Amino acid sequence: MRSIVYYVREFLRPEWIRKFFSVKTAPLTTPSYFKDYPTRTEKECTGCFTCMMICPAPGAIAVLRKKDEWEPEVYPGHCIRCGLCVEACPEGVLSSGRILDVTERDRTAFASWYHLEVDDNLCMRCGNCCVSCPVNRQIDPQLAGTGTSASDEVIMRIEGGRVRILHEEKCTGCTTCETNCPNRAIRVARMVEGIQGEEAEA
Amino acid sequence: MSILQKIKNAVRSRSIHVAYVDVGSCNGCDIEVLACLAPRYDIEQYGIYVHNNPREADVLLVIGSVTPQWVDKLRDIWDKIPEPKVAVAIGNCPISGCVYARRGTLTSPPVEKYIPIAAQVPGCPPRPTEILNAILSVAPLIFKDYEEKQP
Ligand code: SF4
Ligand code: SF4
Ligand code: SF4
Ligand code: SF4
Repeated sequence: MRSIVYYVREFLRPEWIRKFFSVKTAPLTTPSYFKDYPTRTEKECTGCFTCMMICPAPGAIAVLRKKDEWEPEVYPGHCIRCGLCVEACPEGVLSSGRILDVTERDRTAFASWYHLEVDDNLCMRCGNCCVSCPVNRQIDPQLAGTGTSASDEVIMRIEGGRVRILHEEKCTGCTTCETNCPNRAIRVARMVEGIQGEEAEA
Repeated sequence: MSILQKIKNAVRSRSIHVAYVDVGSCNGCDIEVLACLAPRYDIEQYGIYVHNNPREADVLLVIGSVTPQWVDKLRDIWDKIPEPKVAVAIGNCPISGCVYARRGTLTSPPVEKYIPIAAQVPGCPPRPTEILNAILSVAPLIFKDYEEKQP
């Protein structure tokens, strides 16, 4: 009996009744540090396409030529708001949440290069990749139709009956070799590594 | 406007019943929908209730990029919902296929190909607030004066 009286008294407090009918959770606001879709800063875009290269979502970002300047455009519905493009842009053209502040504070950056891999089981040693590679052609204009080359400076050449990769670091990631390989034996992969401190500043 | 319509408007604005269906996503968006139910966002204070039964739903939240098994079943679910009804696409998947939109995957986005979509909430995943805002802004557009708007 005592407890019932206690409960009724507790619930009849005007304070409680008022709150029961009127209180709502805090208004729906987005915190300032929320990593929203990347937006433009005033910095000038150089059209280096680093942002497009690093973007993991298909069709999320495109760097477009508008009149006489480059303009990165982000497409909601494709973009997953990972913020990698913001971090990777060497010019600081894009910004989202506090990513730029944090990269500056922690002195972080991305290093990237291209890795070439040939699946020897699929490769039929046709040499198409070596011949079609624009970098190869520039280094050794004599590059024969079989993909053999006298130059040691080419990215890859046919050597001893198989494709040998000599200078991966010269690859520009154009994927011409991938397109021209009849067996999809050669694959170009872009490798990205996060670096911090002195290295990142260089 | 008839009194009956006024009553319907008042009731509908405070009882929006939601069903959600995941037609093949990573479950990230499901977690965000779930977060709407938790006290922090407390979806019920806005008069939105999740029942997950299409027969009594007003709003269908579609999540995911449509795997082959869902192509016919999604339509079935949509047909089961009584009028007035509205479908909202949650996340990038039903809009574009998101990271699954590449060669060799089994998905066939967008979800608009199968059922009419009234609103899209992009994001991977969208914030619970964005989901809430979408439901709250699309529901009155469809439900208010629904009977009077019928030809
Ligand atoms: S935030 Fe991520 S997904 Fe969006 S455009 Fe940038 S890199 Fe692509
Ligand atoms: S936004 Fe940055 S990374 Fe992208 S093209 Fe412009 S300068 Fe390069
Ligand atoms: S990606 Fe382009 S530059 Fe690199 S090896 Fe292939 S063809 Fe040559
Ligand atoms: S194009 Fe393909 S099949 Fe031909 S040599 Fe190069 S990797 Fe081998």
